[in-house]
Amino acid sequence: MRHRLRDPVAGLLFVLPVLVLFLIFRIFPSLGAAGMSLTDWNIGGEWSFIGADNYVRLLDDVNFWLSLRVTLVYAAIYVPLTVVVSLGTALLLNQVVFMRGLFRGMLFLPYVTSFVLAGVIWRWIYEFDGLINGLLAHAGLGPVAFLQETSLVLPALAVVSVWKGFGYSMLILLAGIKSIPASYLEAATVDGAGAWQRFRRITLPLLKPTLFFVLVIETISAFQVFDTIYVMTGGGPARASYSLIYGIYDHGFRSFDFGYAATWGMVLFAIVLVVSLIQRRFMGRGEV
Amino acid sequence: MTAAAARRVRWPLIALLGLLSVLTVSPFVAMVVVALTPAGKPTVPSQWPDSLTFDNLTRVLSSSGFVDWTLNSVVYSVVSVVVILLTASMAGYAFAKKRFPGRDAMFWTFLATMMVPFQATLIPTFVMVNSLNGVDTFWGLIVPTLANAQAVFLMRQFILGLPDELFDAAKVDGASELRVYLTIVVPLTRPIMATLGVFVFLWHWNDFLWPLVVGQSDATRTLTVGLTTLRTEETQLSLLMASATISVVPCLLVFFLLQRYLVNSIAMTGFK
Repeated sequence: MRHRLRDPVAGLLFVLPVLVLFLIFRIFPSLGAAGMSLTDWNIGGEWSFIGADNYVRLLDDVNFWLSLRVTLVYAAIYVPLTVVVSLGTALLLNQVVFMRGLFRGMLFLPYVTSFVLAGVIWRWIYEFDGLINGLLAHAGLGPVAFLQETSLVLPALAVVSVWKGFGYSMLILLAGIKSIPASYLEAATVDGAGAWQRFRRITLPLLKPTLFFVLVIETISAFQVFDTIYVMTGGGPARASYSLIYGIYDHGFRSFDFGYAATWGMVLFAIVLVVSLIQRRFMGRGEV
Repeated sequence: MTAAAARRVRWPLIALLGLLSVLTVSPFVAMVVVALTPAGKPTVPSQWPDSLTFDNLTRVLSSSGFVDWTLNSVVYSVVSVVVILLTASMAGYAFAKKRFPGRDAMFWTFLATMMVPFQATLIPTFVMVNSLNGVDTFWGLIVPTLANAQAVFLMRQFILGLPDELFDAAKVDGASELRVYLTIVVPLTRPIMATLGVFVFLWHWNDFLWPLVVGQSDATRTLTVGLTTLRTEETQLSLLMASATISVVPCLLVFFLLQRYLVNSIAMTGFK
């Protein structure tokens, strides 16, 4: 009978380190974020309970609505672009056998680097005397003010994130494409279906769950854009790239207005929660 | 379709794929070319540099700030890999093979925390670490990033697939719990631990927001944060690109040595 007691005690001891880390650094701050959003909290650690004042202030804050718009526009550019690029490269990799490993490695390479590095390189690429404008000058064109033009800055930033991250979704989609039984496609070929028809009628429908997963993951990452903005634009020009997370950072670590910054964080939490719940609803249970 | 016809169709696809691959790596190539261009000399895109030099790289490597940031990044990444592998494999084992009160509730709570983005809890985490005097210290930098739900989840799923008989047999033989962990769990989870270790290393080496707010001096500043303090106005472009090049070397090593590993684990687990 000894092992009856031994199992629970050992089990609890084995989870204890993770349990302590989670309680202190994940669960407590999650509750703390909700609590802090109801306070006026400054750098000295002094705070006072102010109820829903921060939320009222948020609704009245022009910069908040602007940052929401910036984040949504950015996501609307980034998500379709990255899905198209990763699906396109995955389909190409699936078709090509010649040097496939090399091509896959080259396409995946930026994924293992940091967004900061991507930002440092692309800040130069976009500059007036940088790579793109230099090449345009050879052709007698330009210069284009990628990061100084309010209408160009979000597409320019989205391109950097697509470049840095599409390798991940490409691999997920490639695995999805490979799991489609070859016999389906062969049968369609025998029936005289062309390449486009096979893609449209077989590959795409069977790839739908994988595509949906990629869509959700990329949407969530679009809402979390920060590193490249910090490095390349500082939220500018004229707040044209002032994203939600940039707002959290700005209020928290430039103005040290912690209560209000936590309120911005709650908005991010709400958005990610909604996207996750939509995912669960459509993907069904069992996938976690 | 004949084989010859199939080959005809493939060549444009190969050309397109090759072009996209070259375009994808070209920013890195440009970065390295600029890093190897003698300081102040013309380089891409206006012209190909007349001569190449390692001067910029050695200058960067001999500047104290850069060396500090690199060592800090090494500490941040390596300590995190070791602690996360250890704690996550222990917890994964308990969640998969042990019965104890509150096990399932605890596990689902861990998973639920994955839905709370770290950035949403950035402020309370910082305030807490600050009140414990952890700002600009190594423990303040590292410890809050060690609670990793993805790691626990992955370990638990993997250990769930190991046969129960292994653990029962060890118990019948009178092996202690610690012995079971060290002689059964650790050796059998080696492949998944290697994969997880690679990902945790990359996450921490490339991490930015938390090191940015908590590492406020060169004593704890990591490479990513240090890179952002180098502005083109004050730093010559060739030195900036030399710093960037060196900062990416560990990622490239991981990439070249373990690419197959990374690729397979993303395809199989959706690990990000």
